Amino acid sequence: MTVGAGIGYALLALGPSLSLFISVISKKPFLILTLLSSTLVWLMSLIVMSALWRAFLPLKTAAWWPYTILILTSVGFQEGLRILFWKVYKKLEDILDAFADRVSKPRLFMTDKMQIALAGGLGHGVAHAVFFCLGLLTPAFGPATYYVEKCSKIPFFLVSAIIALAFSTIHTFSMVIAFSGYEEGNKVDKCFAPVVHLIAAMLTLTNLAFGGCMIGIPLLYCVAIVTLVHCGKMAWRRLIESRSREGNLSNSQ
Amino acid sequence: MDSNRKPKSVLDSVGEEIVRIITPVSICMLLVVILVSVLNNDSDSSGSSFPSIATYAYTENSSDSNWDKLKGALLNALVFVVVVTAVTFLLVLLFYFRCTKFLKYYMGFSSFLVLGFMGGEISLFLIGKFRVPIDCVTFGLSLFNFTVVGVLAVFMSKTAIIITQGYLVVIGVLVAYWFTLLPEWTTWVLLVAMALYDLAAVLLPGGPLRLLVELAISRDEDIPALVYEARPVINPDSVPRGAVVQRRVWRETRDNDLGSDENLDSTSNLNSTVNSGLESNSGLERLGDENERNGVDVEDGQVSRADSELAAPLIQHRINVRMNLQEGGSNDDFALEGIGLGSSGAIKLGLGDFIFYSVLVARAAMYDFMTVYACYLAIIAGLGITLMLLAFYQKALPALPVSVLLGVLFYLLTRLLLETFVVQCSMNLLMF
Repeated sequence: MTVGAGIGYALLALGPSLSLFISVISKKPFLILTLLSSTLVWLMSLIVMSALWRAFLPLKTAAWWPYTILILTSVGFQEGLRILFWKVYKKLEDILDAFADRVSKPRLFMTDKMQIALAGGLGHGVAHAVFFCLGLLTPAFGPATYYVEKCSKIPFFLVSAIIALAFSTIHTFSMVIAFSGYEEGNKVDKCFAPVVHLIAAMLTLTNLAFGGCMIGIPLLYCVAIVTLVHCGKMAWRRLIESRSREGNLSNSQ
Repeated sequence: MDSNRKPKSVLDSVGEEIVRIITPVSICMLLVVILVSVLNNDSDSSGSSFPSIATYAYTENSSDSNWDKLKGALLNALVFVVVVTAVTFLLVLLFYFRCTKFLKYYMGFSSFLVLGFMGGEISLFLIGKFRVPIDCVTFGLSLFNFTVVGVLAVFMSKTAIIITQGYLVVIGVLVAYWFTLLPEWTTWVLLVAMALYDLAAVLLPGGPLRLLVELAISRDEDIPALVYEARPVINPDSVPRGAVVQRRVWRETRDNDLGSDENLDSTSNLNSTVNSGLESNSGLERLGDENERNGVDVEDGQVSRADSELAAPLIQHRINVRMNLQEGGSNDDFALEGIGLGSSGAIKLGLGDFIFYSVLVARAAMYDFMTVYACYLAIIAGLGITLMLLAFYQKALPALPVSVLLGVLFYLLTRLLLETFVVQCSMNLLMF
């Protein structure tokens, strides 16, 4: 609608990610590199999916089942990549620990590992927001705006920015949950990320129905809040446990 | 562990040098993208009437068929690469005959031209677009001051490092913007051709850049060139480590003023490219020269620099001691310009690489912003990969090929595949 509105939409989608970046990630260069690589990995997964589906697009049907298959395959592929990401991260952790030993610094703390997971998740979240929302925002800097018929009460750019915000949150924190789940072997945490991702993606299917976005988007935010709360509880629990463990260690010395 | 004295983790400092070189590259790309999106609203019309060495053989016309455009672009790129090769050989010759003073003055003169004339023209475009009320005397005076400070900052290394870095980024932005005025097909083919040329010039035994570096090393001199040097990382722990010099040579040089797209005649074009050529040293060993072409010097070392700090080794687990390099002390000579070596272990990146990366991203911006993000990620990934290869192979590597080829690949993939997919999903508000 104008440059101001365009910047507003961009900040709506990326604002919390930007503050996370400035306060946590920009202080440690390694986290910036992790963020860039996880963004690249997400982009590559998106390119692979689009290569797979290119022959069938553009889908002209109004039926919902081709879209379901599209979403199922994309989410499945991305979750598979998450496991691969975890394996690469384990190798990296070993390298970093060996490096720390060599320069006689302490090994990676638990908070360090969680920060790396956070940076990885933030990379996914930022990539989602950039490619699904910001990439399409160019017309918003001009003089007019655009409405989608299925969701005609608010401009398209605003809807996509709101959805992108919810998804960024989900991606960021489910990565932290997933990594700590893989590390501890906790079944709930391990399955949490794929399940939540799938539920969130399915919820966006409601946007296909007329007026569906009125129901879909608040539910999406409920899912995002559940992710946030679960991640907070898990992080708190781990921190308390590790602190009490160290307390015991120093007491017994 | 009390929360009061939490020991510093290894995560705080790993990878800092890489981030210090990624930041100015990103800033340069961002500025060029902003300039392009503000000034070029009509992307097709501005390219055709622009005379320069890069459109010598063929001027693109939007009514030509794709095949004609491709042939014309290939011809243009061929002419350009031939000119650059000739100029680089001329540079090697001049360096061989020890005309270093001449080269240094030429470098200063090119910076003056870039900052003064190109900067002036772009400022005029911006003033026209935003209707800034400014009179000619003020404009002339401020432009002149800006240019002179820039030449001094780049030419002499005694200014504050942030000013030198800032001016180098500005020069990169200005030259990259002028490159974007070329026609579309020519730009893309030119980028690929320059990447291949860089690969050949640095790695082949007869390549001009390699000759240049070997000459510089054998003479223990530095080549005058425009090179961006990141601020060195100071690691207090590594100071007592002794005088072992570890060098990793990865050289990226940049083209100084390659883009003399103005109406400079071919001699000045040749001269600028000579400078550029100078810069790429395939630097097997010393780095040092401020090469412009494709050489990124990564020097790690404990050598103390004349002006500054002791450096910390770059990525410590990759440190190797180079056999034929001096150990310890004799590095004071390298201190200054660098042959880089960043005696302080700082990474040096040639300005030509800045320029070509920015040209790629700006061309992607002329299509749409989604390609910009994809190409940006590809270029940064290419930069990271080149750094890893450098650490692995321990010899000079050109930085342009991997990034440019990855960037072009991602541009094509995004434009052909990704865009339809994402637009289709987003229009139906389906996201995952």
